[in-house]
Amino acid sequence: MKLYSFNRRRIFIVFLFILGVGLFLSGRLAYLMIYKAEHYSALADSLHERERSIKAPRGKIYDRNGNILADNRAVCSISVVHSQIEDEEAVISALVSHLEIDEEKVRKKVEKVSSREIIAVNVEKSLADEIRKLNISGIKVDEDYKRYYPYGSLASKVLGFTGADNQGIVGIEVSYDSVLSGTDGSINAVTDAKGIELVEFSESRINPIPGDDLVTSIDLNIQRYATQAALKVKEEKNANRVCIMIMNPQNGEIYAMADVPEYDLNNPFELNYDAEVTEDNQMDLLNNMWRNFNISDTYEPGSTCKIITLTTALETGAVTEANTFFCPGYKIVEDRRIRCHKTTGHGSEDLVHALMNSCNPAFMEIGERAGADALYEYYRKLGLFDKTGIDLPGEGSSIMHNLEDVGPVELATMSFGQSFQITPIQFITAISTVINGGNKITPHIGTGVIDSENNTITPLEYPLIENAIKEETSEKVRGMLEKVVSEGSGNKAAIPGYRIGGKTATSEKLPRGTGRYISSFIGFAPADNPQVIAIILIDEPEGVYYGGTIAAPVVKEVFENILPYLGIEPEETSEVSTDETGE
Amino acid sequence: MRNDKVHDHVEPASDNLHVSGTIWTKGGYVDYPFVAMVLLIVFIGLIMVYSTSSYRGMDLFGDSTYFAKRQLIFALVAMAFAYMVSKMDYRIVAKYSGLILVISMILLILVYIIGTASHGSSRWLYIGPFGFQPSECAKVALIIYTAATCTVNTKSLNSIKGVAKIMFLPLIAIVLIAIENLSTAIICFAIVFIILFVASPKTWYFVVLAIIGVIGCVLFIAFAGYRADRIRIWLAPEKYPDGYQTMQSLYAIGSGGIFGRGLGNSIQKMGFIPESHNDMIFSVICEELGIFGAVCIIGLFIMFLKRCMVIAVNASDRLGGLLVSGVMAHIAVQLIINISVVTNTIPPTGVPLPFISYGGSSIVFILIEMGLIMSVARRMKFGR
Repeated sequence: MKLYSFNRRRIFIVFLFILGVGLFLSGRLAYLMIYKAEHYSALADSLHERERSIKAPRGKIYDRNGNILADNRAVCSISVVHSQIEDEEAVISALVSHLEIDEEKVRKKVEKVSSREIIAVNVEKSLADEIRKLNISGIKVDEDYKRYYPYGSLASKVLGFTGADNQGIVGIEVSYDSVLSGTDGSINAVTDAKGIELVEFSESRINPIPGDDLVTSIDLNIQRYATQAALKVKEEKNANRVCIMIMNPQNGEIYAMADVPEYDLNNPFELNYDAEVTEDNQMDLLNNMWRNFNISDTYEPGSTCKIITLTTALETGAVTEANTFFCPGYKIVEDRRIRCHKTTGHGSEDLVHALMNSCNPAFMEIGERAGADALYEYYRKLGLFDKTGIDLPGEGSSIMHNLEDVGPVELATMSFGQSFQITPIQFITAISTVINGGNKITPHIGTGVIDSENNTITPLEYPLIENAIKEETSEKVRGMLEKVVSEGSGNKAAIPGYRIGGKTATSEKLPRGTGRYISSFIGFAPADNPQVIAIILIDEPEGVYYGGTIAAPVVKEVFENILPYLGIEPEETSEVSTDETGE
Repeated sequence: MRNDKVHDHVEPASDNLHVSGTIWTKGGYVDYPFVAMVLLIVFIGLIMVYSTSSYRGMDLFGDSTYFAKRQLIFALVAMAFAYMVSKMDYRIVAKYSGLILVISMILLILVYIIGTASHGSSRWLYIGPFGFQPSECAKVALIIYTAATCTVNTKSLNSIKGVAKIMFLPLIAIVLIAIENLSTAIICFAIVFIILFVASPKTWYFVVLAIIGVIGCVLFIAFAGYRADRIRIWLAPEKYPDGYQTMQSLYAIGSGGIFGRGLGNSIQKMGFIPESHNDMIFSVICEELGIFGAVCIIGLFIMFLKRCMVIAVNASDRLGGLLVSGVMAHIAVQLIINISVVTNTIPPTGVPLPFISYGGSSIVFILIEMGLIMSVARRMKFGR
């Protein structure tokens, strides 16, 4: 019985069929392994690779002289990986003994079937290293960074702090978050299906890129003086809060910004005063503590704002230095009798003396002559309608009458700084423009960014509007304000040998008649070429509340300390020599 | 035309298997190219079983060579069987083809009664400590039975009735297998089908048979719930959790690239592909050896099958040609299904890669079939 040729042919057909399918499957393999290779190998890699992130350190914050205001401390986070635990008891006892935490809690987390449970964060590196050395499988120690503020509460409201993920929460930590935060790196280790790393495969590592450093205009020493002075007067006058800002009026660089009481940046969630804390009000209380009055809150500027009324009137030619005014102790506006702080009246006085006396009826007159339109135009030019654009989050807006609602009474009260509210930062910026020759500056904290990779500094630029007001007006006002300090109501700010300009204010808080005041003083030096401007606000002082009496001396004290420090030398005057010989 | 001619050549049916003498043959031609190719494929299989099972062996038994050692023993035992079978006269073996098929069918029934469940289906029988799958045995029995019957009843091949008569017992065996293991049943059906195709002078009823087979499969799939799930997995393995194995296989294949990660460097075998030394071994071959290695192995199989074809075509008699065709069909169908499953070309099903996948029954019965081919080769006459 033999095999016929058709049988042979059929065997050959079967083989051809097999060959065809074999070729088809090879083609299918080629499709999967060449055309789709990238797709599947990427999926496979993501399956095999366990990414461990390497935290990037956040950029440091420097003061203007290179002192570190915000730094990083290496800390560790401890977690357990359930699938890698071999001896649960060993893991639990090691964690409990080293971290001093509740055994029940640890046990729960260790026994929980999850890919990863975090046991503790912000563990000191030395302690974490001890745990790492135990080499117990299942315990993972990951390095992290925690923000650290070497000076505690200093400049807390400016700097702000960061949250659990090192993200900025308030202050310049927020406004420069994108600059300061780095890019986390990662280690991609190849693991088997259980997640155990396979040492035979090289791990790919992407190094973290540290955040860029920020250089600020803050001067550590000036900030300290300012804070100390503020604390001292707060204590003396048992005030609610005391705000001080010290700035370069020429370019808007802020040397110091304090709003005492400050809070501990290293424990920002701890209230700095005793209060009934409930879950509902906790966040409000904390927000209130973190709030920076200097930029977020508004107040009636009071008499210091006479500077702006004066500037407006001088610019528009409504008054000149030759004008004289008469103060009987009040002024009747429509049906209202608005009193001067000196009820007996200042009598006849020229423009300079009206300012030196801070005479309300004279300024109502000046405001009336300038008119509401002009006053508003200059409010606008000096930035009282806009935010200053300072590089801090949470800047407040001013509260103003609508121009069409401004009647004679409103105009009169606005002329001496009442019936509208502005923020301290708006005010110091406006006055800087008035005294620096008329250039509208942008107040700011950040001055430069240091690139973490190539270490180069990129200066930060801010808008500047030149000649917002005339140079000669600025000069006139400076001169008059110098007189206020040397001979007028601001005389308690005078320092022998220095030419200081300034203006006091005492504003009664709303509602009126409750005896709550904000005493303030704004001063600058040298009066002929201002290099530094300072504003102080004392919120609800007890006892004597006149700005000239309690606020001006604080600025004097600060200036006494910082003027020489800033390289502003006293001029040789007879008073200095008298003092010297007197000793 | 040619089909009609066949009638002239038909010899009396009763004479067909009349072979005298002992079952053992001495001497004869040894087809060394064939033997070499079988040994090479088995060797590659052992290496790949070691590579794919070392992680699992370490994990389960603390011994990376656990599975490889067992497979080596299976392979050696299987080779001994193959040698023994190659020494037998296949013509005498074929005389007992009916008995062999009946025994294997009894084993198939036995497995449902006392079989041990593995992977959810009862497929294993144990004789003492040795377990084996009766369905593997049934494949060999079906090859021998169908080839022998087609040799004896040449006339029947010309009528549907005759073919139906030949198919009667094999179909019962296939249904018995299909109850628990559809893929093996399909393989068996394909083997029987190919032997009939080779043996028969007619063409048209193979078309009918093929259609019946396809319809049967479709109906079975439609009515057997868990198989319908497989269609769903096949179409979109990434969407379903039970498409895990298919996706893992594709990950392995796709990450192989041109030359692969290198022998022993698969990551997918590290617990991602469950039991990567079994049915999914080809995906790890792809991952480690790349498309280059994978196509080389497919090429080796094709060369091996071509050698089978040469032996079949040159077999000294009709029985030998049909036997070799059946074995060739078995290896080819299993190879095709395995690679198709691994590449998600067809719905997932568990079919081992012949010679290479880990498993005692599989390699023992496949090498017994190799013994049959070698036995046929001994009587081979070149140049007819």
